[in-house]
Amino acid sequence: MPLAEMLVDGDSAGAFSAHGAIHAWAMATAAVVAAACGLVGTLLVVRRLSLLGDAIGHAVLPGIAVAVLFGGRPGGPLVILGAAAAALVTVWLTQAIRAAGGPAEDAGAGVVFTTLFALGVVIVALAPAGTHLDAGCVLHGDLAFLPFDTVPVAGVEIPRACLAGVVTLVVLAAAAAATWRLQAFVAFDPAAARAAGLPVAAATAGLLGATAVATVASFDAVGAVLAVALLVVPAAAAELLTRRLHRMAILAMLLGALGGCVGYLAAWRWNTSAAGMIAVVLGLEYLAAALLAPDDGWISRGVSRLRLGWRVACEDRLAAAWRSEEAGVPSLPSAGGVTRRAADGWLRLRGRLTSAGGRWRLTPTGRREAEMIVRSHRLWETWLGRHADLPADHLHPPAEWVEHHLGAAMRRRLEAETVGHTSDPHGRGIPPEA
Amino acid sequence: MSGVGLAHNTLVVAAGVAAVGFAAGVVGSLCVLRKRALVGDAAAHATLVGVAVAFLATGRRDLPTLLLGGLASACVGLGALVLIRRWTRTRDDAATAIVIGVGFGLGIALISGIPAWGYPDSAGLETFLLGHTAALTARDAVVLAAVAAAALAVVVAAFKESVLVAFDAAFAAASGWPVTAIDCLIVVLVATMVVVGLPAVGAVLVTALVVIPPVAARFWTDRASTMLALAGAIGLVSALVGVAVSASRPGLATGPLVVLAAAAWFVVSFLAAPGRGWIARRREAAAAGRSWDEGLVIDACLRLTGGGASAHADAEATGAFTEEGAIAAAAGDRADGRAAAARAWSAVVVAGLVEPAAAGRWRLSTAGRATAAARRQRVEAWLRLFAEDPDAARGLATVDLTGASGLSSAIRS
Repeated sequence: MPLAEMLVDGDSAGAFSAHGAIHAWAMATAAVVAAACGLVGTLLVVRRLSLLGDAIGHAVLPGIAVAVLFGGRPGGPLVILGAAAAALVTVWLTQAIRAAGGPAEDAGAGVVFTTLFALGVVIVALAPAGTHLDAGCVLHGDLAFLPFDTVPVAGVEIPRACLAGVVTLVVLAAAAAATWRLQAFVAFDPAAARAAGLPVAAATAGLLGATAVATVASFDAVGAVLAVALLVVPAAAAELLTRRLHRMAILAMLLGALGGCVGYLAAWRWNTSAAGMIAVVLGLEYLAAALLAPDDGWISRGVSRLRLGWRVACEDRLAAAWRSEEAGVPSLPSAGGVTRRAADGWLRLRGRLTSAGGRWRLTPTGRREAEMIVRSHRLWETWLGRHADLPADHLHPPAEWVEHHLGAAMRRRLEAETVGHTSDPHGRGIPPEA
Repeated sequence: MSGVGLAHNTLVVAAGVAAVGFAAGVVGSLCVLRKRALVGDAAAHATLVGVAVAFLATGRRDLPTLLLGGLASACVGLGALVLIRRWTRTRDDAATAIVIGVGFGLGIALISGIPAWGYPDSAGLETFLLGHTAALTARDAVVLAAVAAAALAVVVAAFKESVLVAFDAAFAAASGWPVTAIDCLIVVLVATMVVVGLPAVGAVLVTALVVIPPVAARFWTDRASTMLALAGAIGLVSALVGVAVSASRPGLATGPLVVLAAAAWFVVSFLAAPGRGWIARRREAAAAGRSWDEGLVIDACLRLTGGGASAHADAEATGAFTEEGAIAAAAGDRADGRAAAARAWSAVVVAGLVEPAAAGRWRLSTAGRATAAARRQRVEAWLRLFAEDPDAARGLATVDLTGASGLSSAIRS
């Protein structure tokens, strides 16, 4: 890539700032097309059509190639038309193959998009020289070149691809805003939407058309194969971060734009393909979301599992001390096992247990808490014994779990539904509410 | 190197790539039957990273080394796929798309960066994107063919188990087969085929090598063994055509040509395969429609005769009707009914189900009466079934009521 070499003669910040405007335009282009793709991708991901997005990303190539052969400019209306036609042909062929009793849907899509992509590559290879397309650009775009193909807008030279990206983003955002409730309804319950008389087929066709348009807008920047990364990865990351569809769309657009800018800078820093680095940065964003998402991240789920385990261990020790008192032994022997010993130490620190000659005794606070745990346990056993028709030896295990999750309100309801029972099914008394 | 040597090299390469095409078709059949057609795509897009890393580690373009790297990274990509599915809320389709997009992006970033990072012998790694057989040596081709043969041997050895899992995993699991292990075997085989297909077809399109031939072969047969063999044959021929055409036009990458050759096979199969093909289905549907129309005509004749209860058969045998009356009664108020009914009338006459009575009038022959009565019984039985179980009734409709030999089978039953 000679231009890239020209831009980075000497690996210094000076070279970067010397071409600051060019870099800024390239980054802006990457950001707007990534945002447009993120918006469309949100609906693709929630509708489980991600692989159709991949298929369309590949299959628009022959449409674009033919349009360029007939004099279309990249990002121009003819090219968009050609790409949209190719996208619709993909979907139609896939459906036709399935309707004709052909293979499962993903196999049909696999046949159609590989064939169309191969066709596109051959058309590009056979095209006369100087037709704005080559195999490299098809595979990974050429973001670094885009700032040089400009059109004047109100006296400012704006790169054509950036302008096309902005127009695409605005149009898609307006279309999404206008049809958002319909798209959301169709995404979450297509059967109900159809029953409600909504135009489900039109909503789907609109989404696929939007996918084709977003793919065309990103084609110059990242090529045909990597469009799937822009479409799916930010949307999938956003899905892990929120459970509201509109927040997911906004997050996907922001994550896409961020990935576009950071990916471009990383590509400049390491002197490699911008499209590739954008996909890598988007992948890192997804990884970060998978690890750090507030509710669904690996880390937060792991932490909450650990906290729960710790609370259960502490409460089990308190309840054991209380039961020991109940049985007439007012102190509890030290336990084996690291977790239990740590729990004993922690309970002593918090003033729930006191140490007495190598054994443990409940403090008044500890006794009150332990009573509530045992009360939860026995109320649950009583309720199950009365309402669930379980044999007596099946009552303990569920109560052993539930005792850690019942609050005062739940205990009152259980008490109301087990009126007349002052002892649990094993004949032991139920401590009163504090 | 002499011209003879060059030709020899080309032939060996073509043979090696053909062997890869054959094995890919066979292995891909298992994957397609298992409804995991796009697993190969995720593996394929992840191979580039390993190829690039293997080159960076060794600094040489030694094909087996690069492909080993590709296999390793394909397995890492599939592992990431499993992790995403199991540990996040992300659904299967998005997980596959993430592995495809990010894996390919990283591969592109590495391959584009390598020349600029000062590796002199780095030209040519980008041929792994779209495939280029011109650069392969005879030794490379022998390696590819050996791996393909090994994969084939594994499929033959584990044929029964893998086909069972591919068709009905739940049944296989209930019967005590290790489904997870066999699934893993299929996936590893597909990853292997994708990797050995890489030099010829390239990462972007190599999934076609494991998807298109099986899908095309499926149209011709209902037997798994035949399908595997046929898919292999289609893969072999497609690979040969791709290699030959790209050798004659140096500017063309091999991969797209192999894919287009396979796609041509698919189009032919989709249209012309007996039974499942589009033309055969259209014919069958048209025959069923004609048979149904004939049934309508014969039923109209029975109505015009004055009923159909067999107790009155002797009295009704005298009942006669005109051709026009029968056609009009059969057409009813269907918009396109008249022409179809007229055609069906001719067929009914030729079949001897009606016979001339006096003065331009017709009556049902003995065979015609039996046919009409049997048909009416079957329709009524079908309607009763429809009232109870509409789905089962719909499934039986074409078989029982209209099938190509519907009328004659009606007589027999």
